[in-house]
Amino acid sequence: MATSLTTTTPKLTSSLSQTLISKHKFTLFNRSLSLLPSFNPSKQTLTYHTRILKPPARRYVTRAESSTNGGAEPKSYDFDLFTIGAGSGGVRASRFAANFGANVAVCELPFATISSETTGGVGGTCVLRGCVPKKLLVYASKYSHEFEESAGFGWSYNSEPTHDWGTLMANKNAELQRLTGIYKNILSNAGVKLIEGRGKIVDPHTVNVDGKLYTARNILVSVGGRPFIPDIPGSEHVIDSDAALDLPSKPTKIAIVGGGYIAVEFAGIFNGLQSEVHVFIRQKQVLRGFDDEVRDFVAEQMSLKGIEFHTEESPQAVIKSADGSFSLKTNKGTTEGFSHVMFATGRKPNTKNLGLETVGVKLDKNGAILVDEYSRTSVPSIWAVGDVTDRMNLTPVALMEGGALAKTLFANEPTKPDFSAVPSAVFSQPPIGQVGLSEQQAIEAYDDIDVYTANFRPLKATLSGLPDRVFMKLIVSAKTDQVVGLHMCGEDSAEVVQGFAVAIKAGLTKAQFDSTVGVHPTSAEEFVTMRTPTRKIRNSSSGGKTDSEAKAAAGV
Amino acid sequence: MVLNVIRKFNWAINTLTSLFSTNVIFKVGICELPFHPISSEVVGGVGGTCVIRGCVPKKILVYGATFGPEIQDSREYGWQVSENVDFDWKKLLQKKTEEIVRLNGVYKRLLSNAGVKLFEGEGRIVGPNEVEVIQLDGTKLSYTAKHILIATGSRAQRPDIPGQELGITSDEALSLDELPKRVVILGGGYIAVEFASIWRGMGSTVNLCFRRELPLRGFDDEMRALVARNLEGRGIILHPQTTLTQLVKTEDGIKVTTDHGEELMADAVLFATGRIPNSKRLNLQAVGVEVDKTGAVKVDEFSRTNVPSVWAIGDVTNRMNLTPVALMEGTLFAKTVFGNEPSKPDYSNIPCAVFCIPPLSVVGLSEEQAIEQADGDILVFTSGFNPMKNSISGRQEKTLMKLIVSAETDKVLGASMCGPDAAEIMQIKVKVWCVRPRLGS
Repeated sequence: MATSLTTTTPKLTSSLSQTLISKHKFTLFNRSLSLLPSFNPSKQTLTYHTRILKPPARRYVTRAESSTNGGAEPKSYDFDLFTIGAGSGGVRASRFAANFGANVAVCELPFATISSETTGGVGGTCVLRGCVPKKLLVYASKYSHEFEESAGFGWSYNSEPTHDWGTLMANKNAELQRLTGIYKNILSNAGVKLIEGRGKIVDPHTVNVDGKLYTARNILVSVGGRPFIPDIPGSEHVIDSDAALDLPSKPTKIAIVGGGYIAVEFAGIFNGLQSEVHVFIRQKQVLRGFDDEVRDFVAEQMSLKGIEFHTEESPQAVIKSADGSFSLKTNKGTTEGFSHVMFATGRKPNTKNLGLETVGVKLDKNGAILVDEYSRTSVPSIWAVGDVTDRMNLTPVALMEGGALAKTLFANEPTKPDFSAVPSAVFSQPPIGQVGLSEQQAIEAYDDIDVYTANFRPLKATLSGLPDRVFMKLIVSAKTDQVVGLHMCGEDSAEVVQGFAVAIKAGLTKAQFDSTVGVHPTSAEEFVTMRTPTRKIRNSSSGGKTDSEAKAAAGV
Repeated sequence: MVLNVIRKFNWAINTLTSLFSTNVIFKVGICELPFHPISSEVVGGVGGTCVIRGCVPKKILVYGATFGPEIQDSREYGWQVSENVDFDWKKLLQKKTEEIVRLNGVYKRLLSNAGVKLFEGEGRIVGPNEVEVIQLDGTKLSYTAKHILIATGSRAQRPDIPGQELGITSDEALSLDELPKRVVILGGGYIAVEFASIWRGMGSTVNLCFRRELPLRGFDDEMRALVARNLEGRGIILHPQTTLTQLVKTEDGIKVTTDHGEELMADAVLFATGRIPNSKRLNLQAVGVEVDKTGAVKVDEFSRTNVPSVWAIGDVTNRMNLTPVALMEGTLFAKTVFGNEPSKPDYSNIPCAVFCIPPLSVVGLSEEQAIEQADGDILVFTSGFNPMKNSISGRQEKTLMKLIVSAETDKVLGASMCGPDAAEIMQIKVKVWCVRPRLGS
């Protein structure tokens, strides 16, 4: 695959005076500390120099894969790497690969706010129809709560503030255009060739983009995912998250079907922008997979803001009435009068019509591309990162996968993305931040755990008079004192959790948390001052996993 | 946060009460001046500076002030807000007062629930094991104690310039009857900077005068420069390398003269020129407890004074004047003296925040300190960016985040941030040395 590299590099520190400092203005996303071992596919790296300087550009003369070419003559390709899909994972892998000296091209569909078979855009889901527009809409919708809060702090308005959806959409779209332009610049500054069009794999080293063929030593598939809407009567009336982020007018009364983070975030958005919001979920609680206490807490807080939940209801049909409004029929009955019906019922990998089956790339039953720990598919020259592999569908994880792949392929440093202790957030209102295990997961993974919780009214709410509360939770392995899970639901949760994710990843203990002095006055300091466990769960004493007995004994 | 402070205090009390269960009963008495928002020689209140005239009311006012600019920003997000948005200072202060009175009550209950006897009055030390409490009606009560703990905190200083009686300190600032429309602040520390942001957010004209080139001496220089830029960006008028020479009362308000000869008109002049330990009336000299030249009670690593039965914690010892540090010192004092577990407070890597708008928060070494103290080379990582929220609101205000790393060991020596939510973010654990590759994973 990659050849051994023989360039030697200078050491960073010199024998100059003691007070020498090396000041390098990196952006935090652009560190290029690279380790250059001699590459041996079957052994780990042995010795390396650290270096800060950008490596000189190298051309990779390749040896063709023995499996596909049986020791034939070295072949030269148009590109070292051809990436299909310029979203978070694809851009990261391409850019970093180019920084390592590879010759890289990426193809992407032309820009549109709504994705389709023929439209997409540089930046991908995150930038154009996910994280970024979502967060902007969350910011916009939070103001209504802030206006309410401000009354308790002495502010008053001649008239009730009202919201103009058109202004928000126009400004949001201007921002997306600006960002897609920035992403294009990032690619061109890194020397990556951007080709607009739909890419389709022809053979293990060839991609067809709208009729033109390109060859590459490696192909990366990073086409992401798209919203999934079940095929029920009236599904043509339903909008998905793409459309919801770009509606021509604001919903007056909206039904949101779904219980995952997308449903819950949009519920908060439309509620904050003064729509009437109904959420229909199949389960008893929202956010399956999250810590149960957090799920209860966030639903309670959202209900207090006026969002109406319909639990244990499955959608059966959407009916359009003569007056243009919609009704939603579920297994429990029909609710009428919606201006919009939105389904946030999951996203599926975008793998149709890419030529994958022809070339032999194996997929799972959801259409996700199967990859090994290095993100390699069943075809040795074809790789995949991001939502199309359906591992952990988060932008920073796609970035990690893309960065690791670039290192594996072009820095002679095989790197497996590490999926442990990945923090994440739900931008509901109030938001959720979490890292590590939920209580349910911790009980399964560890015999004995201690659970610390805090549920309090933050200072701001004592003055605003609003029913806002904050919930925080630490889960500790009783045997090792390691903090294995951390959860928060309340204002600023996502910002608070980022710092603590470092602690969880580093395997820090509860004692180390407790030895940290708080920052005051904040909500975050609560995490370093939880003295008494709310409950202790002991399974090991009962000589086997008789969970319910042990829990009863522990008073859970 | 409020509950948290109480709970931490409660934990300290609980540490004592839990000792009761070991069949050893410790009797604890505490004396405190009667409650008043503005402290003096004769008034104070259970809860102390933090709860009554520091952290808590300050944060309430910062919240109040932040709404103003937020309302402006909401317009670009599509909100149509009436041109006239009114701010009622009296309403905010009334609610602030209700809250601190409530907290004062909560603290009293915490003490009584823990079985601590509370005496209202002024305490002074009479002997190494004897305390006198002068009650409100003048009667004196004497008590003997095996151990005496001094935790009387600090008070704001006033500069000795003509007309200083026309100026106010932070105590009064947190209890003004009216919002001062024009403010002159003398000082460059966190109190000065926070009040500048508070009043500016509420729409006042603010002039901030400080002795050095930049405010917040002691903090990372790059961060100080950004804070100054942000204050200016919000419309605060900065007067670096300036001090005030006199205040004169006129019909139009207070006329303030600077040492550059400039004259400023103000409805309020805030002196935020430092706080000094509150140890004068404790009668320390009678017992021989040593103080330093600022009046701070001298203590060893276990918070013990030179008199073996007398101890001191918190701002009166002038070590690190932060509430969580005082809580740490108090908790470890209780452990040492009553828990049979001698424990020294650890002052390394204590995070702290300045609640200007937007806030600054730091932990560990600044760049300048790292250059001085670290062995070998250091790496400085910075990320300066316009936060996403501002991309739509149009506010031109960059966030800066900074990591200081030892090149040899890869340890993170310091971290700082200036931007929205900085204080919540910086509760990050740098207390335990984390090797940086973990940070980058």
